[in-house]
Amino acid sequence: MPQRIAIGLLIGLFLYLGLFTWNIRTGYVDTLASHTGLEFARWMLAPGKWVHVQATSFLNRYLYFVGIRQENDLLRQELDAAKVELSNLREDATEVERLRRLLSISPPQEWTRQGARVVSQRLGPNAALETLLIDKGSASGVNINTPVVVPAGVVGRVLRLSPNAATVLLVTDSNSHIPVVSQTNRTQGILKGLGPDHDLTMQYVPQGAPVEEGEILVTSGLADIFPKGLPVAKVTKIGRSGSSLFQVIDAAPLFAPRQLEEVALLFRGPAAASQNAAAGAAPAADAAGPAAVGPIVKPAKGHAKTGQPAPSGVSPAPAPAPAPAPAPAATTAHPASPAAGIGPGAPAGPHQDVPEGTDVKRHRKSIRTAPR
Amino acid sequence: MRPSSIVFWVVFTISGTWLQSVLPGVDFLAPGFILAMQEEKWTVPVWLGLIWLFIQEGTGSLAFGTGLLWYGVLAGLYFFGHWLFEARNFLFMFILGLCLGTMHFLLINVMVVLQDWTIPLQRLMMESVLQTLIFPIEWGLIYLIHQHLPVNNHAA
Repeated sequence: MPQRIAIGLLIGLFLYLGLFTWNIRTGYVDTLASHTGLEFARWMLAPGKWVHVQATSFLNRYLYFVGIRQENDLLRQELDAAKVELSNLREDATEVERLRRLLSISPPQEWTRQGARVVSQRLGPNAALETLLIDKGSASGVNINTPVVVPAGVVGRVLRLSPNAATVLLVTDSNSHIPVVSQTNRTQGILKGLGPDHDLTMQYVPQGAPVEEGEILVTSGLADIFPKGLPVAKVTKIGRSGSSLFQVIDAAPLFAPRQLEEVALLFRGPAAASQNAAAGAAPAADAAGPAAVGPIVKPAKGHAKTGQPAPSGVSPAPAPAPAPAPAPAATTAHPASPAAGIGPGAPAGPHQDVPEGTDVKRHRKSIRTAPR
Repeated sequence: MRPSSIVFWVVFTISGTWLQSVLPGVDFLAPGFILAMQEEKWTVPVWLGLIWLFIQEGTGSLAFGTGLLWYGVLAGLYFFGHWLFEARNFLFMFILGLCLGTMHFLLINVMVVLQDWTIPLQRLMMESVLQTLIFPIEWGLIYLIHQHLPVNNHAA
């Protein structure tokens, strides 16, 4: 009897290791698990989440209306200020276009966005990483490494997906590494998460490199995943560690992970835009969530050629600031949708001109290896 | 399987998935796996285990294989354990919970190292403690509910 058990265990171990290795190499079983388990969880959790959001919204609208007038006045003031700022930025944008033409710099690539609802935070015993579950998947054009943002800044990127759901790796996870540049001083570094309830850290910044407390760190676009200029974190502390060659820089994320309800996904190029538009046009999708589809940054090659100013709402932001660039299509978004105000703050550089879409095998590998 | 049992397992699966979203890192379906092995025909835990395996693997962020080891070792522990203990003893369930808590810590650590990742050990430790405590309590609750299902024929 003990011999049989031992032989059985050995055979089981052999089969397990064979399956594990084969899956690491091909990713087939991972895909199967995502298309079944992740999809099941999405459809089980989404209705309850919807009820919760509706109930919360009802309470907010009808029970906690005290102070709405004051808030309205405040928002009007902010709107007026934003209009003035937008007007100035348009002027700057036309100047940027002229200068870019003068310097023969190729315009940045188009990025489009699509709203998604957060269905759940980390889910299940195998959720080792800091993740979110959202209600958009490959059927909506989402791919591995698709950037996920909110109006305040970058949330993370898609780690794995099924047809109607996706798992998003948060920037706060200790396996997240994003190349960033400080907004004012243009100092480059790698922003690394330190886990839940912890700040981020900016690595590999040499001693003496200028960085200020309170400075916003924006994506540098070097990883070829995020558009250039998206705000990611705010520097909170700068120090040095013994004889290290690098500064110790702490930065706070620009969003509260546990308070996220909606996010926006960024897609590269007009092909994704049309795909998203098709998905966004579905009435069910509109009813279910903020399926706002529209260009974020329209550098408008045609405008660059003609030298005319970009049309209203599609002007590229000249500085890598968290400046929203509301697109005409975004006006169809859910009022509370973060998609209405998300956009890469600055045009991406020429290095962003990579082929449309993503290499599936490479991304499968990125799941199985460190998600840097 | 009787309709009441089918309804029980469907409701249990949905509730377990919901609870896992509320308290991530804890397997709320594992006590049901043990209960199914105790109370149902052998085919029921096999099918339920397969479904739950894909739910856990699909919603998790690790490469496929963690859930397979998890439920495989759990089944093995139950089979070896029920030779030594009374299968429906709360103490046995507590020991199983303790084993699961320890296994969660070790298994996730190993898988994370294999994938060249890092995770906060403090959080993992807390999840393991919660798994240890929740497993026997949840098993006790669902065992009581399962006992009171209408026209329940115990297979064990």
